[in-house]
Amino acid sequence: MYGGGFIPDDIDKKVPVDQEDPVRLEEFQARIDAGEKIEPHDWMPHEYRRQLIRLIEQHAHSEIIGALPEGTWITRAPGFRRKLSLLAKVQDEVGHAQLLYNAAETLGKPREAMINDLLSGKSKYSNVFNYPAKTWADTAVIAWLIDAAAIVNQTTNAKGSYGPYCRALDRICQEESFHLFYGYESVVTLATGTEQQRAMVQEALTRWWKPIMHFHGPPDTSSVHGNQLERWKVKMASNDAMRQTFLNMYVPKIWELGLTVPDPDLKKNEETGQWEFGDPDWDEFWEVIKGNGPCNHERLQVRRKAEEDGRWVREALMARSGKQVLPLS
Amino acid sequence: MATIKSLDPRVARAELPTEPTEVVLNPEEQWETYEVFHQKKSGARHIHQGTVHAPSSELAYTFAKEQYGRRDQTYSIWVVKTSQVFTVENDNSLYKTVPEKQYRNAGFYKVRDKIEKFKRQMNEH
Amino acid sequence: MNTSALENYILKTADDLLVLGHRHSEWTAFGPVIEEDIAFCSMAQDKVGQAQALYNVLHTTFGYDHPDTLAFLREEGKYTCAQLVELPNGGYDTSLMRHFLFDHAERVRLASLVSCPFEPLANLAKKFKGEVEYHVLHANTWIDQLGNGTEVSKARMQTALDELAPYALGLFEAIEGEQELVEQGVVVSEQDLQAQWQAAIDPILEKAGLAAPDWSSITPVVGGRKGYHSEYLAPLVKEMSEVLVIDTEVEW
Repeated sequence: MYGGGFIPDDIDKKVPVDQEDPVRLEEFQARIDAGEKIEPHDWMPHEYRRQLIRLIEQHAHSEIIGALPEGTWITRAPGFRRKLSLLAKVQDEVGHAQLLYNAAETLGKPREAMINDLLSGKSKYSNVFNYPAKTWADTAVIAWLIDAAAIVNQTTNAKGSYGPYCRALDRICQEESFHLFYGYESVVTLATGTEQQRAMVQEALTRWWKPIMHFHGPPDTSSVHGNQLERWKVKMASNDAMRQTFLNMYVPKIWELGLTVPDPDLKKNEETGQWEFGDPDWDEFWEVIKGNGPCNHERLQVRRKAEEDGRWVREALMARSGKQVLPLS
Repeated sequence: MATIKSLDPRVARAELPTEPTEVVLNPEEQWETYEVFHQKKSGARHIHQGTVHAPSSELAYTFAKEQYGRRDQTYSIWVVKTSQVFTVENDNSLYKTVPEKQYRNAGFYKVRDKIEKFKRQMNEH
Repeated sequence: MNTSALENYILKTADDLLVLGHRHSEWTAFGPVIEEDIAFCSMAQDKVGQAQALYNVLHTTFGYDHPDTLAFLREEGKYTCAQLVELPNGGYDTSLMRHFLFDHAERVRLASLVSCPFEPLANLAKKFKGEVEYHVLHANTWIDQLGNGTEVSKARMQTALDELAPYALGLFEAIEGEQELVEQGVVVSEQDLQAQWQAAIDPILEKAGLAAPDWSSITPVVGGRKGYHSEYLAPLVKEMSEVLVIDTEVEW
């Protein structure tokens, strides 16, 4: 026996939780309630496995596609300092995809299958990366605020129940803090620079505000499904709660720079402590999810091209490679 | 053929067709995996970090160096084929041994009481 | 010491590294496999960083412009990189082969500079050693595996080698005043470096099942060291400086 682990016959097949062995299910829940982490070879309900694969895989796709908006400016970054930083940052996104695909693979889905589901459009990734980076200032706003929003999400999920995902997220969060500081410094440089630079960064912020408000997902509606994932510590916080955390931390910093966001209704209700905001156009959110955003098509075509162009390299060495088994952890 | 007009000059140069292309990876095309062990400095242990996909030990090492050593201080890296790692399925149950094995721990061995008693006896004589 | 020749020597070395680093960076997120993407991007960063350090020597010691100005705001004809590094990436075969040919050349060049009497250059040669060792390891591994891979990969690598060989020899185009620098023991002659380079790469190519060219029968593509470039450099420079030229006086 080696660490090949359990490979379910059909990962996509739905097995309702009530069809699981009730004793094992109870033990499983007790472990999670006690704060224990679940490891790849542990027993787990089919639905836990399926939902985790979906979650981690989408996260991995978001990283690999997330390299593209900022990559738009990789050959044009102004000066050595920015050129090196942007390269390192985009490199990290690719590296994060590697770590996350690895975490998802431990659950039984091979990396080829995940990439195929990305290329075919079957599997989703974060909407925010389907928007274009029109100017250099867009890369600054992305590196600061999209990464900030992602950190809120990732530090929350790092407290979840699945060991390999938590470990990947711990490493990712460490690297993201560099992105955040790099992005903040880039935005501050532009915002405190010339009129022209200020205008560039303001326009970029205006462009990106809607996708930023969409980042943590639509407003929560309580559902049985949601509760189950929360009990299993797959979902660690509500979309609204994460959005509030983000607004609390970053709106004051945006305002401090004299920048504005395109939402006249955005304000903190001092009584409730909650941020109130205008409708960030959830119709658009759903349209982009359906594949109708400004860059959905381009992003996927770029990935298809990269995979196709690299195929001869991979195929040339397949005979050398031994048979795949699941990664250990 | 219509091509995608991208803001990214690299993508614009690639002249990607606007029509969706069908690309499907074959099984095993991403090769097997290697487990990566990273040693921070001389004198430290190698600690497991994660995996890389690679077709050979040489490339696995070349990849691991950058994926796991590009930021942290690194003294040395090992890579081992995942398939070569032996374990026992659900091995954690083997470690749920009965708790009454304190004789394996230093704290099980207590001498102070005996010494104090001995000293008292000596004093009495 | 012929300082003007030494300045030109540093400049061409920096220009090679900058332009190749830039070409490498174009692969970021487009590589054949995720792990390789990360490795290749690291090498791009190393090259660009090495170029920056060399421009900085010119700036601080010889009064040249700030590295950003020097690197990104020169006219195309003022660059002295070899044409090898300007060529578009092409496929991964071409990129890997160029990387292999270039990095072995950089390795022998740096080794020759470790004892350079101009201390700032000797110090950088020592500092870059570890990075270049990795680049050479990376290149050798890939050349070996793809050369010994399938018929397809072997043929692709051979074609890339044959196409790039004349350009690779252009790396050893002498600069004006080289003779004097050599006589003063400041640098090793390009001819000697080329001989060392050939001795290093030929056995690796052979082991990879690739036919090393008959180097002496190839006409090198030269001109780069004198500012004559391929059609590819001007658009590359323009692209690299697109944001910077919006306002060259400010921080970005």
